[in-house]
Amino acid sequence: MGLITEKTQLTRIQPVKFILNWGRRYSLWVMNFGLACCAIEFIAASTAKNDFIRLGVIPTAHGPRQADLLVVAGTLTDKMAPALKRVYEQMPDPKYVISFGSCSNCGGPYWDSYSVTKGVDQIVPIDVYVPGCPPRPEALLHGILELQRKIKDEDIQEKFGAVTQPAVS
Amino acid sequence: MPSPSQLSPDDVASRLRARFGDDVSDVADQHGHAVATVTRERYHDVCRFVRDEPEFACDYADFTSAVDLGEERGFEVLTHLFSTAHHHNVRVRVAVPRDDAVLASVSDLWATCDWHERETAEMFGIRFEGHPMPVKLLLSEPFEGHPMRKDFSLMTREAKPWPGAVEGEEDEEA
Repeated sequence: MGLITEKTQLTRIQPVKFILNWGRRYSLWVMNFGLACCAIEFIAASTAKNDFIRLGVIPTAHGPRQADLLVVAGTLTDKMAPALKRVYEQMPDPKYVISFGSCSNCGGPYWDSYSVTKGVDQIVPIDVYVPGCPPRPEALLHGILELQRKIKDEDIQEKFGAVTQPAVS
Repeated sequence: MPSPSQLSPDDVASRLRARFGDDVSDVADQHGHAVATVTRERYHDVCRFVRDEPEFACDYADFTSAVDLGEERGFEVLTHLFSTAHHHNVRVRVAVPRDDAVLASVSDLWATCDWHERETAEMFGIRFEGHPMPVKLLLSEPFEGHPMRKDFSLMTREAKPWPGAVEGEEDEEA
């Protein structure tokens, strides 16, 4: 974010914060980390009937380096986990992750499996959890709205604590 | 309509008995498939015979897998074979003891069995002698244990016991 420099505290100025977050939340290039049947529901949510493009979610980023939002849709295994971590780390900040479906939330029906990661939040930080097995496309739309609500109220300076300076009085 | 050259399970039984005698202890008919139980020593010979004998001509190996039958009965390795010429199915079944879990590899007969034996090896801890590349197939390299063994302990279940009904003890559906 080039707007934020050490001299200005633009993001603390309410209208700027509003416009900044408004712009960010309606331009979410999405990356589908599809691992199982949930990925099909994700695809359904992206097509004409449910159409998450009208919410400002753009399918699909050409790669993780161009993505703002990662949707982990499906069963993550311990063997696949390093790949997810890598995709997440390739994404530029600010980045968001939606955990889509029971498997990625907590292991779901594979809660006692020897190979499934019980919760993607062990690997990457999650912003929104969407429950269901698999969740309907509408549930993803709801999850996206929840995420956009989070982004709306976000203080980008707070989130990326590296930029710190005394508050302007 | 079965083709004239298709072998029935009884035909398979008589032909295997004639060739291997008591080393083929049982040939069962499971839904039209012949299931031959053979001794561990003759497993590879039976497989080679079933592949090369023109009447059998089982040129296609469907799968190799195993069953853990518990502490006393050990493992049972199954290789499912099919003939694309005659359209009959033959399953070769062999008992493998738990304390000496070794079996001859048949990956030299069917390349399909290469990966299936690697999977069976990592899942059940059965060593396939003569396998060209006896390394893990699906599990990650640091994985310890053989998850398809009945005595494999699931960490999650150690922490929280199975919340549902135990198999065989469920309430009967009304």
